[in-house]
Formats: sequence, C-alpha cells, structure tokens
Amino acid sequence: MDQPRAPEGLSLIDCDVHNYPSTVDELLPFLSARWQAYIEQSGFADPWISSYPKMFKAAARRDAWPPSGKSPEGDEPYARQRLLDEWSVDYAVLNPLYVVGNLHNLDFANALMRAVNDWTVAQWLDADPRWRASILVNEQDPAASAEEIRRCARDPRFVQVLLLVRSHAPFGRRQFHPLFAAARDAGLPIGIHFGGSGAPITPCGWPSYYLEDHTGMAQAFQTQVISLVCEGIFEHFPGTQVALVEGGFAWLPSLMWRLDKNYKGLRAEVPWLKKLPSEYILDGFRATTQPMEEPSNPKHLLDLFDMIGRDDFLMFATDYPHWDFDSPRDALPPIIDGGLKRRILVDNAWSFYDFERT
Amino acid sequence: MTSSVLEPPVESSSKQPVTRGLVDIGAVSDFVSGQPTRVEVGGRGLVVVRKGDEFFALRDICPHQRAHLSAGTVSGTSLPCQVGAPVPWGREGEIVSCPWHGWEFDLRTGRSLADPRRVRVRRYPVRVADGRVWVDVRTRRPGVQEKQEVEIGCVV
Repeated sequence: MDQPRAPEGLSLIDCDVHNYPSTVDELLPFLSARWQAYIEQSGFADPWISSYPKMFKAAARRDAWPPSGKSPEGDEPYARQRLLDEWSVDYAVLNPLYVVGNLHNLDFANALMRAVNDWTVAQWLDADPRWRASILVNEQDPAASAEEIRRCARDPRFVQVLLLVRSHAPFGRRQFHPLFAAARDAGLPIGIHFGGSGAPITPCGWPSYYLEDHTGMAQAFQTQVISLVCEGIFEHFPGTQVALVEGGFAWLPSLMWRLDKNYKGLRAEVPWLKKLPSEYILDGFRATTQPMEEPSNPKHLLDLFDMIGRDDFLMFATDYPHWDFDSPRDALPPIIDGGLKRRILVDNAWSFYDFERT
Repeated sequence: MTSSVLEPPVESSSKQPVTRGLVDIGAVSDFVSGQPTRVEVGGRGLVVVRKGDEFFALRDICPHQRAHLSAGTVSGTSLPCQVGAPVPWGREGEIVSCPWHGWEFDLRTGRSLADPRRVRVRRYPVRVADGRVWVDVRTRRPGVQEKQEVEIGCVV
C-alpha cells in the first residue's frame, strides 16, 4: 500500500501526550466574569468523576512530577524537557482529557471546553513548535462542538478533534452528525481516546477494581467502531478518518470477522452500507500503539499485523506522562524492525495527520 | 535522595578499597530506610534500599521497559490470601515498585510479585561492616551469599 513517507530528518512522532490544567485557576483567564464567579462560589475543581482510584496519583508515572509543584500534565516546560527533548520527539499530539461531557450544564461545559482549547494554545502550542493538539469538544452538545471545531480549526496547530470513548450514546448515532460534518469540513480526523466516565465500562454493570475498568476499556472502543461503521458515518461523511487512541488493537481482527459475518445476514437493517464493514474499518480507522500489546510470543504480534492487513494502521504513542507510558526505546519488541518500525514510529502518523497544514 | 532518569547517579565509592569483589558504597548513615537510592558500581546502576539494619541491592533496571527502579517507591504490599478473606498487608520496606507501570519486585529475591517464575531483577548481596555498606558485585548465584558471610565475617 503506497503512502507518503515522512521526511528523512524525522525520527519519532508521538500521537498521544496529555496536557491538563494543574488547577482550574489556570482556566480562569479564558472564562467570562460569570463563569469565574460561578467557579469561585461553587468551589468547582474538576469535571473528572471516577469510582476507581488509580494507584498512581494523577494517573502519572512516579518520576514525571515537575519540581515546579504543578501536576505532571500541567507543566509545559517540564513536559518539553522530559518528553520532547529526552526522547527526541519531532511532533507530539496533545490530548487534554478534560471531561466536559460529565457536566450536564451545557453552557458551563461549553465555556470550559473553549477555555481548555484556549489554554492549550497559550500554554502549550505557543511554547514549542513541536506540539500539536486535538480540539476538545463536548459530546453532550454536538452543535456547540461543531462551532468549536470551526473556531479552533483556523489554528493549523490543531490537528484532530478529540472525543472520549465513554459517551452517553455511541458516536454513530445521528445526533452526532453536526460534529462529523464540522470535522469533515475542517479536514480534520477524529481521535477517540480512552476515558470519559459516568457510566459503567461494561454492559453488565460496575466492576470492582481499576484493573477491571482499565482492561475493559476495549469494550468501549469496540462499541464505537461498530457504531460508526453500522450507522454509515463513513458513507454519510466520506473521507472521515478516525484514530483509536489508547484502545489497544489486538481485538480488531476478531471484531472485523464478526461484524462481516453478521452483516452478511443482517444487511437489510443497514442498507446505506455499500461495502463490507471490515473495508470501512480498514479505510477509516487507525490505532495508536500504546498500551502496546505484549503477547508472550512476540511473533504473534506480526501475526496480528498480518490479520489486520495494513502496515500503515498503527501509529506510535507514549501516553506521557501517564503510568502506562510506553517507552519509545523499549515498547516495540525487537521483532518489529526496519521499515515496519519506521512506519509505526513516523510515517503512518505523518500520513494520517497534517502536521504542517496552513 | 530518590533519583530520576535525569539526575546524576550517586557517586560510587570508586576511591574506596575493594575487598574480594566487595565495593564500598557509603556509610550506613548515608542511607535512609525506605528510600530507594541509585548507586553506580563497576559500571552497573544498582538500586539500594535500606530497611533498618538490613540492606538490599538490585540492578536498577526494570525488565519491562528499562525504567529506573530507583525512581520508584519502596513499601509493603498486599499479601496472598483467600478470596473474601481480609487482605493482609506486610513486607513493609521490602518491595520496590517501578515508577512507570508499577511492577513490584521483592527486594530479598529480586523476583517480581506478579510473575515470580519468569520475571526477576538481578540481586546483589550487601554486607555491612564497621558502619560501612559493601555490595558484592561478583556473585551471580543467590546461594553464594551464606558462604561469603562466613568468609568475610561481616556483622551489622
């Protein structure tokens, strides 16, 4: 499969890094007087709800705490040093996991959405030319999200629209059309990222441990892949590209087989589809490598890639500064080498994202 | 004194005398119980942990993705138990956890707690004598420890 190769001088693109305001005070300059007062009076600190303490404070590597006293995701100079410089990263895509979708006051949620994107520009994108970012949107308000996509897309350093995988409804449903239309018009891919909260990760209720919640995240990704395909998002918005970020990828082959098998008998339910589901999946999706699959026999990874069937499907990511960070040096086992390794580390992301758009 | 990837390692006692493969890495009082410390010995980075009068030394490389264990935490841990039974907490000061993915290693054996048969970190015997701490970088087999204790006659 022919795809553009990245320029020779590039050696590493990181498709998933996390920035997040250290405290809500950092967003105040980007909020109106009304919301500043609201935050002060209510004591609102953060939209994150979790029933699963993470065993790692701020979900971060223990050696990623900046001397400044800020949180690992809140200190740009430190992240620049510990990630971009230390690992010689050429481009890094920031995904601020600020879960505005948890806030049911849509006006407040939308104000925070805009403030986070403005904060990302001021504190991160303006600070170093290697940073790129995803546009945070509010999945509970697709119209406001569309407007925010149009607003932020004017800044070429925004390279993606960010959705969190745990949502109030699967993203293929028609209510989300304005969001996909805006992304398509802006020429931006969608990134669906691990996270969100508010509903159980399983269809069987709430499990007990963070270990279960984290491992079960693949179920949410599978739901979104199935929904986007079956609802015809790739037909209705041709050219839509979706990155599955931090969802793993080993489950993709069996999902493609199962969906194709069922489609063959149930096609009449979804007559807008003109190809097999697996074709939509291979054309429309990509996945980041982190958290890297670790089969005890590394050769099975190559078998997996073979089952996926495209060598441009995977894009490297560290997930810095989270505890499940993948080291650029060691996360890909030696069996992945040569041209395949370079595709994963550089070329595939270079061709999926437009890092030098104007 | 917890070190990180970027901090320079604690200077090895290369100026100190080496006795039969033992390297002096400092005074007992240089080490704080429960604080993992990176020490360079004979070209190898080791993580040294003090627990009261005892010392442990492991290779300062996590076998997973080669993070420095010395940037991690030392603590106790949840001990094996039956389902539904109260979970015992123990081994205080004897477990080091990797700062990246949290893999736990038994400081006494170097073995991982989650997969002790397949995953371990090299362990180096440590001796204390006359208020100094010595690491034995020669031995590669745990059984040698006892023999050398008798040979050298170290006491805490």
